[in-house]
Amino acid sequence: MIMHEVLIVGGGLAGLMAALSAAEKADVAVLSKLYPTRSHSGAAQGGFNAVMGEEDSVEAHIFDTVKGSDYLGDQDAIEVLCSDGPEVILELERLGVPWTRSPGGGIAQRPLGGAGFPRACFAADFSGHVVLHILYEQALRRRIKIYPEWRLIELLVEDGRVAGVLAYDLARAKTEVIRSKVVVLATGGYGRAFAKTTNAIANTGDGMAIAYRAGAVLADMEFVQFHPTTLYGTNILISEAARGEGGYLRNAGGTRFMADYAPQKMELAPRDLVSRAIFREIKEGRGYEGKYVHLDLTHLGEALVAERLPQVRDLSMRYAGVDPAVAPMPIEPAQHYSMGGVRTGVWGESSLPGLLAAGEVANVSVHGANRLGGNSLLETVVFGRRAGRRAAELAGKEPWPVLSKTTAARSLESWSSMFSDGKQIVQEDSTFLIREAATSIMTSQVGVFRVGDELADAVEKLKELKKRYKELDPPREAQPFNYALMEYLETGYILDLCEIIAGGALRRTESRGAHYRLDYPRRDDLNWLGHTLARRGENGPEFSSGPVKITRYQPQERGY
Amino acid sequence: MKVVLNISRFNPEVDQQRYFQEFSVSVEGHHTVLDAMLQAWRQEPGLSFRRSCRSTICGSCAVSINGTPGLACQTLIRDAAGADGRVILEPLPHFRQLKDLVVDLEPFFESLKAVLPWVVTREDYSGRMAPEVSRQLEVPATCILCGVCDAAMDAPGEAAPAALVKGLRLTLDPRDALGEHRLALMKVPPDILKLFIKNLPDRCPKGIAVQGIKL
Repeated sequence: MIMHEVLIVGGGLAGLMAALSAAEKADVAVLSKLYPTRSHSGAAQGGFNAVMGEEDSVEAHIFDTVKGSDYLGDQDAIEVLCSDGPEVILELERLGVPWTRSPGGGIAQRPLGGAGFPRACFAADFSGHVVLHILYEQALRRRIKIYPEWRLIELLVEDGRVAGVLAYDLARAKTEVIRSKVVVLATGGYGRAFAKTTNAIANTGDGMAIAYRAGAVLADMEFVQFHPTTLYGTNILISEAARGEGGYLRNAGGTRFMADYAPQKMELAPRDLVSRAIFREIKEGRGYEGKYVHLDLTHLGEALVAERLPQVRDLSMRYAGVDPAVAPMPIEPAQHYSMGGVRTGVWGESSLPGLLAAGEVANVSVHGANRLGGNSLLETVVFGRRAGRRAAELAGKEPWPVLSKTTAARSLESWSSMFSDGKQIVQEDSTFLIREAATSIMTSQVGVFRVGDELADAVEKLKELKKRYKELDPPREAQPFNYALMEYLETGYILDLCEIIAGGALRRTESRGAHYRLDYPRRDDLNWLGHTLARRGENGPEFSSGPVKITRYQPQERGY
Repeated sequence: MKVVLNISRFNPEVDQQRYFQEFSVSVEGHHTVLDAMLQAWRQEPGLSFRRSCRSTICGSCAVSINGTPGLACQTLIRDAAGADGRVILEPLPHFRQLKDLVVDLEPFFESLKAVLPWVVTREDYSGRMAPEVSRQLEVPATCILCGVCDAAMDAPGEAAPAALVKGLRLTLDPRDALGEHRLALMKVPPDILKLFIKNLPDRCPKGIAVQGIKL
């Protein structure tokens, strides 16, 4: 049996950062659905927010984040995020990150949405990519054991404590029990639960759903970020850096319509507001072909676009056939990020002993109802590092948890019973159909604008889809690189999460941050200034409310 | 448009040797080869190929397209399908086929280690770097480790092409304590290294043009 004191699940920024910090004191391994360098952290373009100069202040970063969160962020966690930021950026600098430099040789910073200062440290528009690869290099240096293309199947819980995992090696088509003292989830988000998303094909929320099935509390799942600028049609991300560097949003009349929605911040208002503005323009007939608006960089000049936004340019030319240095890009909002996730404290500790979480899979909660651009990359490294430290500390002082033969055998039995009836009717296409139906419901009924009866209808339809899913025969197990089997499992994860997202959105009868109810268009602090907690119950998720940690900033009206 | 994908199939559990299977799919010219492959997968869910970001940043979908290694998500159908509307897809050359289009990446990732591909930070590093130096680092740092260069070029020496890209970047990094020993670690004669740097942009999906190396 494989044993590691600390098992990190996920090889993106949060996972690798956790692995590097934990490896200083404990035996660590990283189990990752992809080779780590292929994690979706690499697609992040804009930058890492951190206060690096004297004109800016940690205080200001905290306030911008609290306000951006529409006062749902936990202020103790936000203080940690913003205070640890500068130190982590300098640590990454020493490890070899090629940050873009200011003329004086310091780390350059650019403005991103909802921030009062140019605060994002970046490497052109490859910010996530370069840091991911630098951390991977350091993981090689530290000889950290990596299990690439292994899938987490189940968290093994013994007497209420996580004692290991059941994992599946895609290449060998074999399951393995891995014992551990601490499991750190860093599996990212569930973007593929939505038909229109910027996220990679791998982003199916596996870790979030598996934690939920094991009994961990999820929080604020109804808060889903829709990125304002994705290429029309393909929904490939066009970084907020494009607006940070001075890009304009224009409607079909050529007007910079953000003047009507956020007269001060204009294009650099927070994402929830900009996405709503774009859809409003389109809905009221001011979009191109009734479907998209323009992101215009043509006034910035070719040199700046080439130097600061080379990836944006390449993506737009390839996938939209438009060179943004000479013509505006057609864009529409699409799902981008999950504010919700596995509820954790500021050291990554979840409600299940032995289970930590960091990064997008977690809800710590620094983003509250709406995340600011540049804060998620920062979150991955700040809270990844903290979760790694806490994991090593726990591994140092705790004995190996008991993992009984019964628990391991029950888990293996439950895996193999999926395949046991042997009838193998070819039904894979139903997996595709069920998944397509679910993801279209999410985009059309649980999107930027929500309304009670559509949400109720979505919840009902999702229940039906779950029933259909349960009747499917899973694809045969025994072949290497069985992506049909993975699709089957992922569809199950997505259905669980959709149910929680839609249910939470129906329950929350107010509008806050990215959750906007046409039938309840106002924020309601009296009844709803609280986190939505979701636990797995007999017949689907059971919801309750939890307090928001407010330290310095009392809720006020949020204008930009 | 109708396109026929001719895909190399091989399942080690049942097949003695590889064979080709044709898939007829319907796609737009501006769609990618990956889009077409995903359609073929719906017809035959047992078909295996790696994919993830679908935007040329993760490097998963590197395959041989009509005999040339490249990224399926970067290649548009209208560029890949000839007048006969056919596209031939095979696993990357120089790599071992494990199943269908999936190749063994272990030797590839293992090969990186030969050049000690990490910054060994100098004690006296000031924390400042001229913008033009960081720009030089940024270009090879866009390498996505897709394996296309290893598939498209013969290894110029003991170290594989992708490992050389890492080695060259570290040679340029003023933070790195190994400095000129980096060139020795790569174990490639200077004239061959020059030729490698010259040929790389055309073979690399990210067009990496390494500049500033003094040989």
